Amino acid sequence: MNIINTKDLSKEYSSKSFSKDKILALNNFSFEVEAGEIFGILGPNGAGKTTLIKILLGITHRTKGEINIFGKEINDESYKLKVGYLPENHKFPNYLTGEEVLTFYGKMSGLNKTEVKKRSDEFLKLVDMEKWRKTKIKKYSKGMLQRLGLAQALINDPELIFLDEPTDGVDPIGRKEIRDVLESLKERGKTIFLNSHLLSEVEMICDRVAIMNKGALIRSGRVDEITLIPDNYIVHCSDLDESIMSKLLNNFKSTVHGNNEFHFKSDNIEELNRLIDFLRQNNILIRGIQREKNTLENMFINLIGSQN
Amino acid sequence: MIFSTLVLSTFREAMAKKIFLGFFAISTIIILIFLFLINVDSVEGMVDMVGASGEEGIRKLVIGFEVAMIDISYLLIITFCLISVSSFIPSMLEKGNIDLLLSKPISRTNIILAKFIGGVLLVFISLIYLIGFVWIILSSKSGFWHFPFLYSILWLTLSFAVIYSLIIFIGLISQSTILSILVSFFLVFIVCPILYVREATIFSLVENSAAQFVINFFYYILPKPSDINKITTDIITGEAVNSYMPVFSSVLFMLAVLSASIFYFKKKDY
Repeated sequence: MNIINTKDLSKEYSSKSFSKDKILALNNFSFEVEAGEIFGILGPNGAGKTTLIKILLGITHRTKGEINIFGKEINDESYKLKVGYLPENHKFPNYLTGEEVLTFYGKMSGLNKTEVKKRSDEFLKLVDMEKWRKTKIKKYSKGMLQRLGLAQALINDPELIFLDEPTDGVDPIGRKEIRDVLESLKERGKTIFLNSHLLSEVEMICDRVAIMNKGALIRSGRVDEITLIPDNYIVHCSDLDESIMSKLLNNFKSTVHGNNEFHFKSDNIEELNRLIDFLRQNNILIRGIQREKNTLENMFINLIGSQN
Repeated sequence: MIFSTLVLSTFREAMAKKIFLGFFAISTIIILIFLFLINVDSVEGMVDMVGASGEEGIRKLVIGFEVAMIDISYLLIITFCLISVSSFIPSMLEKGNIDLLLSKPISRTNIILAKFIGGVLLVFISLIYLIGFVWIILSSKSGFWHFPFLYSILWLTLSFAVIYSLIIFIGLISQSTILSILVSFFLVFIVCPILYVREATIFSLVENSAAQFVINFFYYILPKPSDINKITTDIITGEAVNSYMPVFSSVLFMLAVLSASIFYFKKKDY
């Protein structure tokens, strides 16, 4: 089941006040997010990621297109009862304590006093901010504010959580803890929509990603699928002697990486089978054959580079 | 529940920004001055003297105090309120804050209404404290319980609400506290008083009928806090109110500006 479904979503901005010149922030953007997945949105600065999130939350208005969230076109605010949001560079009223922030945003999310109290305790503990709950947030560090922001996004026990740069300003240990929180939310069946510049992080926790550039969707899919390098294979095998290596280089256009591994490229599956036959005839034990993968970061850089 | 949370958050913000404290400090000082004044020997003597001239004398003295009180409240309290609440909308619109607010299940119309009601309630409660205490002091001292003075709480709150609606509109468009204060002050303390005396003073200087028409046009479309203040005084002194048109036109102005604010806020991208 799709939790989010958009079709031909577009957003135009005026380049200046009273100007007729338009900037296309989103261009016929269609995508869907399935229930229970962690979905990552990637793109260079100005690609339209934050605009997309803001449109989905009604903070910015779309110029055209359809948006379905929880199976319904978003016409009013009621769907927001089941949504949590951590904006990039969020700003809470700095005269509040951590606990008061959660109380205020909990009530603003439709919770009553008892629910707010119970969930504040639960989520302050989850983000390891219990001992700072009575401290005014103006004394918080960036990392502490980010943790509190995450607790705020979860306070109403939402089914769908939008996180815009959730680990911004958080140290490596804190980032790991936030990743663990996201994993546990996923286990509880929550759907997470994540915008992060940290591609290694996205690669670690996202099930699917969409890559956008200049307001358009340029690729989407499962992380393990889109990082695959087409027709490239890595073969792990028993020791290769000089003559075998030479034949692999000359006959199969392979590149050898040590005595037990070589890379083979072919778009013809019969050729792959010929290679296997060759190895078996020469008593080479095949330990494994896997599709060659790129890192998400390399794939992203190559993809965006080819677009610009 | 969500609406009332946002209304109460205005109070919380006012507490944090020491607006309430400032308000109560100023009000308390005024109350103490009143207490002091009516206990000093010369005033006590005057009260005794007026008391000797009968109930009418006491009534006149009390009403005189009350009218003075209205002018003080209008100048001090409304000024203080306008400065204090001008930051409510710009601070709400700060990046990172407005995003969060708009992601919550509350309509943009209700956000503006909650901010408006919160500010007006704040001033209403503060005026109850100030006017209420002064009324109790004057009444218990004089024995003359003059209830029309209490109506001034509503009239002063109305004056504030009308100007506050404009502050909200300017705050939404400019996102600037300073500009909101400047425009509201310019309107309340320069434009409105000038328009208020247009027939008595301005028209004797400007005889051109087209110019007079323009001045009248602005008089009728703009809020009229000076006129409302005069109506308040008339009600307290027991004089006949010539016309309630300034009240109706000010309320219409408030509704129009609030509607414009809501329309603008609903259309705006953040």
